[in-house]
Amino acid sequence: MLLFIISEIMVFGAFFTAYFFIRVAQGDPWPAPGTHLPVEVAGVNTLILVSSSFTIHWAEKSIKAGNRFGLKAGMLTTFLLGCTFLFIQINEYANIGFAPQDAAQTTIFYSLTGLHGAHVFIGLCLLLFVTIRSFRGHYSPEEHRGVEVPGIYWHFVDIMWIVVYTTVYVI
Amino acid sequence: MLNPLRSEDEAFRFLLYAIAVIVVIVGLVLILRALL
Repeated sequence: MLLFIISEIMVFGAFFTAYFFIRVAQGDPWPAPGTHLPVEVAGVNTLILVSSSFTIHWAEKSIKAGNRFGLKAGMLTTFLLGCTFLFIQINEYANIGFAPQDAAQTTIFYSLTGLHGAHVFIGLCLLLFVTIRSFRGHYSPEEHRGVEVPGIYWHFVDIMWIVVYTTVYVI
Repeated sequence: MLNPLRSEDEAFRFLLYAIAVIVVIVGLVLILRALL
């Protein structure tokens, strides 16, 4: 798990290097002239993703306490919040008004947010498995590793998004 | 010591600390940008 997370950080680090090269070393404007980033919509999307970390934490706490309803409700809510995040992201791509090939800045924008979106998609697949298994009666206060590991991954995806959002959209 | 890879509980606490640190950094950057 440690090596996996380290390799993930290095992958994101490569894209952040390109981002900081454009902004700091090259001194190019961000975003590219003539483009606009939807900071407010992405901010709401950030709140949606952060809240999904709270609901998966609730699900994990619930199964540890033997509360099956909390597990099922928490996992289902987390999955739906994740789907909402991804839907809004795709909708943003469809309406943002620029393409990856338009400028170096737009390439980096799509690369960083797209890389994160791919991680969200993988996380959603994991969450779907856990949600289905929780509705089928799996997991118990003694055996809940299957909830714990996707939870750790989901929190990692959340932290990466906060870093992506603040660097790409806010700063 | 906090190890976010040990358990979901610790990963969640790490997330909260990360949010707090990022909010402080962004606040400082925005304040400095407004002043300079």
